[in-house]
This record gives sequence, C-alpha cells and structure tokens, in this order.
Amino acid sequence: MRRLFFFILIAISIKSASASNADSALVEHTSLEKLTQLESLRNPALHGIGYQMAFSQLALGLDLQRQSAAFVPEQGNGFTLPYLKVNTYRHLNGRSTVWGEASYTTGRQHGIKWNSTSDYDLLQPYILADTLGGDTRRERYTISGGYATQLSQWLLGAEVHVRAEQEYRGHDPRMRGVVTDLTLRLGGGYDLGTYRLGTAVEGNIYKQTNSVAFYREEGVIPEYQMTGLGTEYSRFSGDKRSIYYDGGGLAILLHAAPISDCGVFADITLDEHRYHRKLAEFNSMPLTDLYNEHVGATIGWKRDNGYRLATFAHVDYTRRTGNEHVGGTSDARYFPVIACLTMYKSRMLDCNLSALYGKKNWNVVLTAGYESQSEKYIYPHRQMDASHAYGKLQGQCFLRPSGKLLLTLNAQASYYASVDDKLQMPFANMGEGISWLIRHKHEFAKANYTDFGAKVRADYAWKQSQYGLFAQVGGGMTLCSASEHQTLLQCSIGITF
Amino acid sequence: MKQFFQFIIIVLTLAVTACAPVEDDIFTTAHITVATSEELVITRVQAQVKLTNVNTRQVTTSANFEGPGVTVELLRGAYQIDIEGVATCQSPDGATVMRQFRCQSDYAECISKEQNNVTLNMIFLD
Repeated sequence: MRRLFFFILIAISIKSASASNADSALVEHTSLEKLTQLESLRNPALHGIGYQMAFSQLALGLDLQRQSAAFVPEQGNGFTLPYLKVNTYRHLNGRSTVWGEASYTTGRQHGIKWNSTSDYDLLQPYILADTLGGDTRRERYTISGGYATQLSQWLLGAEVHVRAEQEYRGHDPRMRGVVTDLTLRLGGGYDLGTYRLGTAVEGNIYKQTNSVAFYREEGVIPEYQMTGLGTEYSRFSGDKRSIYYDGGGLAILLHAAPISDCGVFADITLDEHRYHRKLAEFNSMPLTDLYNEHVGATIGWKRDNGYRLATFAHVDYTRRTGNEHVGGTSDARYFPVIACLTMYKSRMLDCNLSALYGKKNWNVVLTAGYESQSEKYIYPHRQMDASHAYGKLQGQCFLRPSGKLLLTLNAQASYYASVDDKLQMPFANMGEGISWLIRHKHEFAKANYTDFGAKVRADYAWKQSQYGLFAQVGGGMTLCSASEHQTLLQCSIGITF
Repeated sequence: MKQFFQFIIIVLTLAVTACAPVEDDIFTTAHITVATSEELVITRVQAQVKLTNVNTRQVTTSANFEGPGVTVELLRGAYQIDIEGVATCQSPDGATVMRQFRCQSDYAECISKEQNNVTLNMIFLD
C-alpha cells in the first residue's frame, strides 16, 4: 500500500512538471488576498479559473505541537506528524485546468484521554472512551484531483477527495480506528454580465471501524459509549468495545462575484452530514445518530486598483443534534429499536468582520468577531456554554533579496476574550473521572487566549529552470488564561516546479 | 439561465427539507398498578416504586400511590420496575388486613407518548 502510494506521489510530480514563473505563481497561490475567495474556490468550476499560473510543489515536512496541559483531553496534548505531500495545479490549455494533491502523514498523537475514536471533531460527542487513554500512532493517506473546463459562458468542474486513515495504540487499551472518507464535488458557473455565478454540490461518504482490545486480562477497564457532556449509554458500555460509524452528507455551495476584481461578492454554503454509530457485535444495532448542519455566509466588497482593498463579513452557524436509540429486549443478540430520542443539542456561532489591505508584495488582514458555543444534554439536564469576542491581525510580505531568492514572511496575532460562560452539571451524581473531564473542558472553554505566530519561507529558483528549492519554518505560541500554553512548530523543505 | 435559477431553487428546497429528524417528546407517564390474584380489595398502598432505565441505568422513584396505582413521569424507554411496601386490603368478609408485598418486572416498555399502563402482580412477603 505504502509503495503504491509513493509511486502515485512520484507519478503526479513528474506529470505536473511544467514551465512557470515559480515565484509569481507562489505569490498568487499563497497570497492572503485569496481569503476573499476561500469559499468560492471550493467550487471546482471556479477553482479551475481561480489561479492564472501553474504551481506544483513537493514537500517533506514536520508539524509538531505541544500543550502544557491538554486544552481538549479527548484530542491529547500534542502531536508529532511528519508528512510528504505533493500538489499541483496546471492549465492544460486555454479552457481546461487540472489539479491534484497526494499526501502521506504518519506520527503520534500524544496524551489522549477519554477518547478511543478517531476524528473526534467530526463525531463528538458520540465516541468510545476510557479513563486510561495514552499516545496513539496515526497514518493518513490523502489523494485528490479535479478538472475544470470553460464552455463559452459556462464553467464546469468536478473534484474528488479521498482520505484513508488509521489510528491505533500499541499498548492497552489498544484502540484502533480505520477511516475511509470520500468526497465528490460537482460544480458549475455562469458568466452573467459583469458577474460570475457559481453553484456546486458536494457528496460525502464516511466510514470508520472502531475497536478497543486488551491483551493483559488483569488490566481490562470498561469502555464507555459516550452520549454527550459526560453521559454514557450504560447498557452497551463496559465490554462492548467494537463499533462502527456509517455516515455521509451533502453540501450546496452558491457564489456570486464580479468577474473583474472590483465589486460586491457573496457566498452561501449549506451542508448536512449525519453519522450513525452502530454496535458491531449486536447485529449492527444503531446506538446513536449525529446530525451536523451548517450554514455559512459571506458578503463583502473588494477592489484592486494598484492596491487591494476588501471588507467582508462572514457568519458560520453549526447545529449538532444527537439522537439516541432506545434498545428493547434482546432476542438472540438482536436488539430492536423501540424509540429514538433527541438528547444532545449543540449550537455554534462564529461571526466576524474582516478588512484586507495590500499591494503587490504585502497584505494585511484585520478581523474582529464573536464566537459562541452552547452544548446541552436534555435529561438529566446538563449544559456547558462559552462565548468569546476576538480580534486577529495577519500580515504577509514577499521579499526578494536577490534575483534567485524569494522570501515569504507571514505573521499573525490574535486575542480571544471570554464574554460569557455557563456550566450546569449534576456533579453530585457523577463519577470522579468524568467530573474532572467536564470541569477541565469548561476551564479551557471559558479561558482567554492570546495566540501569535510567524512563518518564513525561502524559495530559491535557478535561472532558466522550472525547478526551485524551498525551505519553510514556522512557529507559534498560544497562552491560555488557565495558566497553560501551547507551542507549535512547522517546518518543511521541498521543490517547486 | 432560467434553468440555472430553477436548479438553485431545487437544491435550496432540498437543503431546507433535509433537516435532522428531531424527537423532542422525550418524556411520558407510566401508570403502574399493583394487583393480586387473592380475593382482596387493595384500598391503600404505602410503598416505593423504583424504575431503572434499562439503557441508561438512571433511576426514578416515587411513593405517591393513589389506591393501588401510582403515576410516574419519566423518560421514554424500557424499565426494570421494583416495588416494595405495605398494602392495606379488605378481605371478602369485610376485615381490613395489612400485607407486606413486593412486585418486580425485569422489562416494561414505556415508550408511548401517551400514558403507559403497567400492571404488576403482588408477591406477599408475610
């Protein structure tokens, strides 16, 4: 599998080599200016005309994160993830464009607690969990490719993205999560007068098999089928350690933007994903269903007249609804579902206002926003809320110390100030371990955060050659008012072509 | 172009109608009646009923008997029911007798959104 994957990486690298002005292409592909097109570039039809210049890159890198105490215990207190990644974007002719990406990531996730399931962000709170946890090993393969073409006023495009991932632990409790995630996107666009309209439909299929094994009989501990805010499905917790997730969803993307670089632009994204947790050892009895519904909208105005100016407002609203299946009396390891109750509700809101100002070689983005999250377990009532106001400043600069060398500097700083928080829990009826988890999570959810980071990239290009070398190093630090901190190191080297 | 806007209206309609199925009617009432096969009329019950949710192991208790029955508000689901206490009964000859009893059921479904009626047979302990 690994050899086949490397063969694909190399094949893509060779095939996509093309003559291009690598420096200008890098500026175009990495400029902060693209923030205004972030949503529209998800539409493959518009992605095909999103960049004028071809750009390909092969990178070998390392992402390293450490937290002095886990901000979210289920996600651990850091990771060490080396990766190899190749991506390419090229125009076949005046009308058609292809792009692709392949990557292989392997490494460790450190200090995970109360989670034995992969893709926590996607599937929480419906996870398998135990009190012990520990480091896990991760291996992730991704491959994606897209094609777009222009037929007079119409733009058409398609894109596919595949992720295969496994996460496992080599000591008890030996969790294992094997993920397959396939996304297909079809998009269209139409030039109407001075405006370009676009729409895309995205379909997703998601599977994960998840199990926990113990090799030492005397060290067996219960695995809990978590149902939100520290609750668990007691009947199927304990020794039921083999589950799987069956999911998928649909998304619809709508865009309108001026064909020129001046005017009002707007994007709307609607998506709904559902994930069913099933008990493998009891005839695939459904335990829980999680529904993630998201609406995102952006409206803004931009102008490029020697200098770039854009202001835009963005809103993200996510509603997570969890249904629990009530199992009836068993008959030969078959449990009928006698009722389905909505027990978990979560609402997340993020709205912000951004202003971008820049010239050819530099950009500055200032963002101010408000985010809130409210989680509820209906009965017995549990609630955890937190909201923050935040400000963020990003800067980017492209420097050319010599004809062959291009330096890209990125820096950002942000501050998240807690506005409001709430915690209602029946602590008197909760176990010690789960009480610690809830108090810890709330402590970090309501904290103030100061975050700053910088990244430097040096690109060296040979004259008369389509190839170049690059090295990138970046670092960041997050200071939390709960007297803890996080450090991040990102470095990579590679070639551009 | 007209087809383009029609397509957008269709996909938006699909998006709006594809919302998560929400079941907010999570509570119900269970009316539990104790009964006996002996020729006794149960006039008063002093007992505690304990309902343990089979799936969540959550326990609901009540002692508010009215005659031979008690009404309990609880989460819809499957329950294990235990009752233990004293019943005041009237025998066919008109005499009033106090009987110590218990009732037990390993599995009773209380999933209807309306009232769920459960009848349990008394096991006399004296």
